[in-house]
Amino acid sequence: MITQPYITNYLSEHYADDAYRELSGYEARGGFEGLRKAVQMEPADLVELVKSSGLRGRGGAGFSTGLKWSFMPSGNDRPKLFVCNADESEPGSFKDRLIMERGPHQMLEGILIGAWAVGASKTYIYIRGEYKVPTRRVEQAVKELYERGYLGQKILGKKGFDHDIVVHSGAGAYICGEETGLLESLEGKKGQPRKKPPFPAQYGAFGLPTTVNNVETFAHVPFIVARGLDWFLAIGTEKSPGTTLFGVSGQVERPGLFELPLGTPLGEIIDHAGGVRGGRALKGVIPGGMSMPILLPEDLDVRMAEEFLSERGTHLGTGGIMVMDETTCMVRVAAVTSYFFRDESCGQCTQCREGTGWIHKICERVEAGRGSPADLELLDDLPGLMEGQTICAFADAAAWPIQGLLRHFRADFEAHIAAQRCPFPESFEL
Amino acid sequence: MSPETQRKIEALFPRYPEKRGALLPAIYLVQAEKGYVGPQDARALAELFGLEPVDVWEVLTFYNMFYTSAQGRHHVYVCTNLPCSLRGARTLLKELESHLGIRCGQTTPDGRVTLAHEECLGSCGTAPVMRVDGEYVENLDLSEAKRVVDSLE
Amino acid sequence: MPTLTIDGTEYEVAEGRMILQAIDDLGLLMSGVDIPHYCWHPKLSIDGSCRMCQVEVEGMPKLQIACNTLVTDGMVVRTDVERVKKAQRGVMELLLINHPLDCPICDQAGECTLQDYAFDYGMPGARTEEPRRPAKKAMDLGPTIVFDQERCILCRRCVRFCREIPKTGELGVFARGDHSLLELFPGTELDNPYSMNVADICPVGALTTKDFRFKIRVWFLDDVESICNQCSNGCNIYASRSNNRIYRYLPRRNDSVNDTWICDHGRLSYQLIMENRLTEPRVSRRGTSYADAVRAAGDAVRAARESGGSIVGVASPFVGNEDLFVLKQLLEAVGAPAATFAVPRGESDELLVKTEKAPNASGARALGFEESDASPGAVAVALVLGHTLAEECLKGVETLILLDTENCSLAERADIVLPARSFAEKEGSFTNHAKRVQRFRPILEPTFEALSEGEILQRIGAAAGLTGWTASYDVHEVSKRLSETVAGFDGINLDSLDDQGCELA
Ligand SMILES: Cc1cc2nc3c(=O)[nH]c(=O)nc-3n(C[C@H](O)[C@H](O)[C@H](O)COP(=O)(O)O)c2cc1C
Ligand code: SF4
Ligand code: SF4
Ligand code: SF4
Ligand code: FES
Ligand code: FES
Repeated sequence: MITQPYITNYLSEHYADDAYRELSGYEARGGFEGLRKAVQMEPADLVELVKSSGLRGRGGAGFSTGLKWSFMPSGNDRPKLFVCNADESEPGSFKDRLIMERGPHQMLEGILIGAWAVGASKTYIYIRGEYKVPTRRVEQAVKELYERGYLGQKILGKKGFDHDIVVHSGAGAYICGEETGLLESLEGKKGQPRKKPPFPAQYGAFGLPTTVNNVETFAHVPFIVARGLDWFLAIGTEKSPGTTLFGVSGQVERPGLFELPLGTPLGEIIDHAGGVRGGRALKGVIPGGMSMPILLPEDLDVRMAEEFLSERGTHLGTGGIMVMDETTCMVRVAAVTSYFFRDESCGQCTQCREGTGWIHKICERVEAGRGSPADLELLDDLPGLMEGQTICAFADAAAWPIQGLLRHFRADFEAHIAAQRCPFPESFEL
Repeated sequence: MSPETQRKIEALFPRYPEKRGALLPAIYLVQAEKGYVGPQDARALAELFGLEPVDVWEVLTFYNMFYTSAQGRHHVYVCTNLPCSLRGARTLLKELESHLGIRCGQTTPDGRVTLAHEECLGSCGTAPVMRVDGEYVENLDLSEAKRVVDSLE
Repeated sequence: MPTLTIDGTEYEVAEGRMILQAIDDLGLLMSGVDIPHYCWHPKLSIDGSCRMCQVEVEGMPKLQIACNTLVTDGMVVRTDVERVKKAQRGVMELLLINHPLDCPICDQAGECTLQDYAFDYGMPGARTEEPRRPAKKAMDLGPTIVFDQERCILCRRCVRFCREIPKTGELGVFARGDHSLLELFPGTELDNPYSMNVADICPVGALTTKDFRFKIRVWFLDDVESICNQCSNGCNIYASRSNNRIYRYLPRRNDSVNDTWICDHGRLSYQLIMENRLTEPRVSRRGTSYADAVRAAGDAVRAARESGGSIVGVASPFVGNEDLFVLKQLLEAVGAPAATFAVPRGESDELLVKTEKAPNASGARALGFEESDASPGAVAVALVLGHTLAEECLKGVETLILLDTENCSLAERADIVLPARSFAEKEGSFTNHAKRVQRFRPILEPTFEALSEGEILQRIGAAAGLTGWTASYDVHEVSKRLSETVAGFDGINLDSLDDQGCELA
């Protein structure tokens, strides 16, 4: 279990401290100053503030949080909902878990500030079912908030500021991280993403206007409100302000989390993680969770923010950095990756359901030494048939990593086909 | 499903604008009682929620954490996604297979352990990891994994 | 009304419709405007999952699905661009990887959208020899339907049908990803009264009816527009025939009557048409020629008129408006009171099935006949159409002239028996419970001598020497006279009716 990142910043400053998990400890370290300030503001001004802060969602898509809040209808004819996306299932991502385990009140305070800003009366926190400890911690924290009047009616004595929080467990399905898959799941259905329109701000959970934000996104909000725009905008890059909890995994000396400003060079983060394990050479790095295309050793200079990563054909995603050393067989990586997407596709869209299955079969075949040049052609084509054509972005997420692997490691695939076996005996077992 | 479980389920209804919202938590409750949710319980749940049995069955079969048939007394799930695999998870799973004498996805003949693999558990920084009866066991090595598995009654 | 331009042609479409709906409203979908689609069905909720209907919409960077894209005024759509073709080819190729490529032995061949689209939108050659998804063949889903799981493309039309139309919800898609399988809840059957519609809406050969499965190749069939005669809803159907035999009924779309559905009972009722037919004209319980029987009937009518004996008519809610109209005229000509008729009744439901188990009770009412199952008492001659009235009621009839399709005990008792054509063997119209007049067309040639009730009555009138009555009969002429004479039928006749029918004024 990780209790704090190797490198801390404002979010994780007190994570090592058990008291910070409790409301009193959280308050003693500046907690709920943000909310106190927020309720002195007009909701619209608050939305404007978050918009100006440039805070981008930390759930993977990087959408402007303030802008998203502004999509919520004004008026109170229908109850409005918030959903906190704590489904964290993107392989390589383990930051939301730490926030919930070590600083649950940050997220909760962010939720309350958001609730005041958009007039939401209830929040569902959708936590992936496997996250037992985080769920217990969040439930405990919610209970404390009720006891101390931060939840329920007339919060902080404000008339009309009523809010409830319900903690809801997922049940093992990656696709429930996709916001409309999540909403379906929350409604007690299969987590199959919804076609859009309608969008959640109009027709969300149970048909009510709903905003979905990620755990970490909420956790940043109290700091922005409490410490102000100037402070926040000075951290990170111009287009991507603030820090994030980079997760480094795979073949490094010290896997774990690192809270660093957005825009920190990739190589620097990997250095913080002790570099490649056993002094080996680096072969490839996935920069933002499994859905994102892989980068090469020469990309270590890239600054870890969306605006720079997209120039290299990849994305920041969840900031989950996976490091692979020189022994790694990239066809194996393709096989593991495609297995995951095949297993997790919700199965509605033709391209995604059939494409993920087919890509996986081909990758396994090539890895097993039974591939042919025609297989390589198929792998070139199939992702293109899936990308941008489906109900949700899952199919893109399934297509991109394969495209990335072929772009940068075509030689690995060709070698398998030529030799009719895997030429990387030391790579991890399949 | 016991009256007790049913009461607990009904108590969940007010948390959601529509009671169907309580279906996933309700399935967990039935599963906690019985170990799995078979067709008969699915029917009972459907009745309680005003749904067709097929609606409940769709949900049950969609999610990895729900079971429609009996499982071993203990669940050992090894994460085999990429970050864990890069740190030896698959070798570890193989070793556990031969240690228990079963293949991944099977239950020991005495019904003691069901061994399976899982996708990323959000523990990649402490890989490899397995989930034993719902609790994470992180930073695994082979001897630790075997010790944990052997300690299960 | 918003305008929508598709491939350069401008259409005026209704407000608030999706692209596909708007095209369907105009009756142009796949017949003028080709946007291939699998999951979308005009009478089911929008699913948006097959992704076959993608089109290019001006101003939107990504392709959009036509089934879930709201038309806005001035929208410009293209289906003829390479991007769209490529997407369609992609969907086809991906659907076919888990689908057996054995159209020649599939029962759906000839009626399969997958096969058709593969031809029109697919790739020339299959690129896969992958082992297909493990799936069961020929699963028995219940009394009516067989399921070839390996052919299913998971469009969920059948699932939505069961949920939304009969609201029985038997079918579901279990598991997820490419393990997804359409199934029933364990231990249950698909056995609702509308179950067989799933076979019509299944775009591939995955769901077939036990009744029709492997009976005949569809290209040997031709479909005739008709009306189901099993209840007063008057569902629109096609009767598929070959070699003077009906092989099945299919629903024919009529949004004012039955949408795209029919009930299973009605669907299977084609089997009843040839059952227990009355084939032999009889006079005094002895077989005779048709002409003799007509003559005998004419004589009986004439004799009754001359002797001042009373003549009554008993109408049937099973015969066409035209037949009823000839009866009405005949009765008027002999100075008899308006006919009465009896209607068999049974269960109804909220969807289609009505209590009146006959197709034309409304027509009989519209013609001024009165529903009654009372006995006409002691009369000289009774002209009886069908056998809806209990036999005892006709005890006091001196000469009972029966015009019927079916052999029944009344035929044993009748003095003169004239085999009639079933609705499948003649042309005419029925008026359904909502007063919609709908046309049916001849499907079969009778295999024995039989005439329509209208024509029989016409001949009887001529044989009886009624002024102005000749034996020649043209149902279109009759229909024209009917529309000119009977209130409510103004302008409604066989020649004016289109395939959707028309409501009485
Ligand atoms: C396949 C898929 C999986 C996703 N999984 C997650 C997830 O586990 N957690 C998360 O916060 N967002 C996830 N997202 C992104 C959400 O759809 C959504 O954009 C996000 O929760 C919005 O929050 P944010 O704006 O605060 O980032 C996923 C998206 C896709 C397409
Ligand atoms: S893209 Fe894949 S995961 Fe997303 S809705 Fe379609 S089938 Fe489901
Ligand atoms: S059986 Fe037919 S209608 Fe039903 S989902 Fe499969 S393909 Fe679609
Ligand atoms: S509802 Fe009535 S008219 Fe329609 S198919 Fe059934 S029996 Fe025939
Ligand atoms: S890959 Fe195993 S926990 Fe993430
Ligand atoms: S018809 Fe539009 S997605 Fe299937």
